[in-house]
Amino acid sequence: MSLSAHADSQQAPTAVQSAAPAATYDYDDERWWSPGDTRTLPPHSAFSNEHGTLSTILLTSSGPTSLDTANHPFFTPLGENGRACVTCHQPSDGMSLSVTTIRERWRATNGKDPLFAPIDGANCPDAKPGDPASHSLLLEHGLFRIFRPWPPRNAEGKPIEPQFDIEVVRDPTGCNTHPRYGLKSAEPMISVYRRPRPVANVKYLTAVGFPFEPKNGLPLPVDPESGERMSGNLMADGRAGTLKRQAIDAALTHLQARRAPSESQLRGILEFENMVYSAQSHDRFGGELTAAGAQGGPYFLAQFAAGALQGGNEPIWLEFAAWLEAQDDNATPEQIEFRRSVARGARSFATKTFLVSDAAGITSMGFGNPVRNTCAFCHNMQHTGLDVAPGQVDLGTTNEPFAEPAPHLPLFKLTCKPGYRPHPHLGRVVYTSDPGFALTTGRCIDIGKITIQQMRGLAGRAPYFSNGSARTLRDLVDFYDRRYNIGYTEQEKQDLVNLMSVL
Amino acid sequence: MSTRFFIVAAASVLAWPNVGRADAAPNAADSQSVKLFVGCPVYRDSDSGRKSGCWLVTDPATGIRYDVTLGRIKPILGRTILVEGIVAERDTSACGAIVLEPVNVSVLEGTCKSHMLPAENYPGHRFVLPQDVMQPTHVPRELPPPPYERKQFTIEFELNSDFLVYQYSEVILERAWLYAKASKARRIDIVGYAATQPIVVSGERIVEDLSIAKARAEMVAEAFSRLGIERKAMHLSWRPAPPASAEDVLPESAKRRVEIIIHP
Repeated sequence: MSLSAHADSQQAPTAVQSAAPAATYDYDDERWWSPGDTRTLPPHSAFSNEHGTLSTILLTSSGPTSLDTANHPFFTPLGENGRACVTCHQPSDGMSLSVTTIRERWRATNGKDPLFAPIDGANCPDAKPGDPASHSLLLEHGLFRIFRPWPPRNAEGKPIEPQFDIEVVRDPTGCNTHPRYGLKSAEPMISVYRRPRPVANVKYLTAVGFPFEPKNGLPLPVDPESGERMSGNLMADGRAGTLKRQAIDAALTHLQARRAPSESQLRGILEFENMVYSAQSHDRFGGELTAAGAQGGPYFLAQFAAGALQGGNEPIWLEFAAWLEAQDDNATPEQIEFRRSVARGARSFATKTFLVSDAAGITSMGFGNPVRNTCAFCHNMQHTGLDVAPGQVDLGTTNEPFAEPAPHLPLFKLTCKPGYRPHPHLGRVVYTSDPGFALTTGRCIDIGKITIQQMRGLAGRAPYFSNGSARTLRDLVDFYDRRYNIGYTEQEKQDLVNLMSVL
Repeated sequence: MSTRFFIVAAASVLAWPNVGRADAAPNAADSQSVKLFVGCPVYRDSDSGRKSGCWLVTDPATGIRYDVTLGRIKPILGRTILVEGIVAERDTSACGAIVLEPVNVSVLEGTCKSHMLPAENYPGHRFVLPQDVMQPTHVPRELPPPPYERKQFTIEFELNSDFLVYQYSEVILERAWLYAKASKARRIDIVGYAATQPIVVSGERIVEDLSIAKARAEMVAEAFSRLGIERKAMHLSWRPAPPASAEDVLPESAKRRVEIIIHP
């Protein structure tokens, strides 16, 4: 690590008097933050990736800060398997975890890193230890096992009567038919496989832009502990409404803690989560993401207001609008062309309409099916691309017939019971590799809905979608193009890829 | 302003301005009768920006195609719909069919063939955000001023549904909540109604079970609870809807409702 002023260090926004000089992490063993590591996390860490540089910063109301990670609960093993929160939320990977990093850890430790703990780092807990085939979903797709009780439980832990029956159709990992871990075990559970979501920029994740949830017409639920409304944007299946509940859930499952973290530990975790921002800060072609009037990178992100709805005169990704016509005498022709491509991608994202169809959550709430709109219809929160309303939407990444073929994943048959409305678009019988939000609510209409993710730091955390089905940003664009028959040109696709690579 | 007036007003602002194609202006004598039928929706992919597509449906009894785009709920392609609406005094230039306004659409469980039409030079109804919409959280809410008296708010629902519709229900719910808060309501009656008297529409038997009236009342109570109103202040009941009154513009739709009565 070098603690010199990094070539990519960013211009400071007004409210931050000076951006901290970046500590650059050039080597794999420096990039990886092990549980129990006692290094100090500097105010600004810069990590290279295939698109350029990602920056992770620590910023409080007092300004940039560093963090002594020794004994800090986010960085310290809290359970039995040696993992800490940081294991799956690495500063180098936008506070998530790329499959590249996962493979590097396997290579460096011969599969001994706590990252590969059998509980969820293996395809099923009793898979043969040390065998890459036992961890194929993690090594090849970046997927961890998420095991949910069946039937679903409410916030108080009481069973919910589900509106549908569930059967296992395909079980390549053997976990859903396993006598101990499966659907018919003594403690019935469903195992699905998902990517870790980034723990950064959390003020956007918890922002409540409007008091009501348009997808069901009800006011957003209130956290009984804090009295604050819960945004509904935290987890893929919405099972935890607050950062605190998420931390407890993660400790008890992924970290195999015997008990929930203490109040002091939780406070430490939440304080850290609220100060960490992560975003791409430099592009290999475009250069500084704050150059020529752009407002990319984490410092700007840290200071924008969270929860604002895009639209009209303020379309999303205005951060890069200046690049459309920017004059920069110091820029190379390649830089100028790349920057214009990013700006075109931003404009296309907000303005190019297509028919959104069979996307329950959006097309089931009264807008009609289909409904003509843009990418920003769902990705409508300024600066992150989250959904200001809780973003539980069925994009078709997990539900048949729209999901990409995924022989490595389980397949479930869900049959809506008589007396309940069937799924609005898929009918009474739905085949899915991940029931998503329905594993939390037990409702037919929620089958396959996955909470929309933030779009920041994408360059550092491939693959994409909750099931890792898009290996690259181009795969992601191609999925949408096929799914909604958008008809993007090659140039439009590249513009969108370039946009997403600088977020 | 009454709730029902609000529905009409909210729908009206979605209208595409008349652009001079008066080729099929509705017959004045026909305009006040309520059209009630079940049909299969067709989507016209007119592109005047986001949410601008046309929803058309033909009354099987007459063969006349209507434009039901201005309903607060839009159809789902491939599913039959129950339509109740009144022929509007406007031309057909937006979508190429006689406009119903006000109009209510209920998506039924019946399936039908999905069919889409090209724009064929019809612009569709350009989406305009209703003037009376939910404000962002950071906008301070103003409490209604006194005097406070018994006040009723009404929310209508689609057939066999307890779904609170976006850009309609939440505005009424918040307005009722603010009134209850300002008036320090001692009691809130929440009365769910269902259209339990069967009718035959386009050969289909249309009826609701009383249980949906209960579900509607409970949904509204859940909303109030999440807004901070104590459950003990709410008194829930549910009952079959009485026959529509003369002032109900869309009489069948009016039966599917919840009445919220605030007692200061």
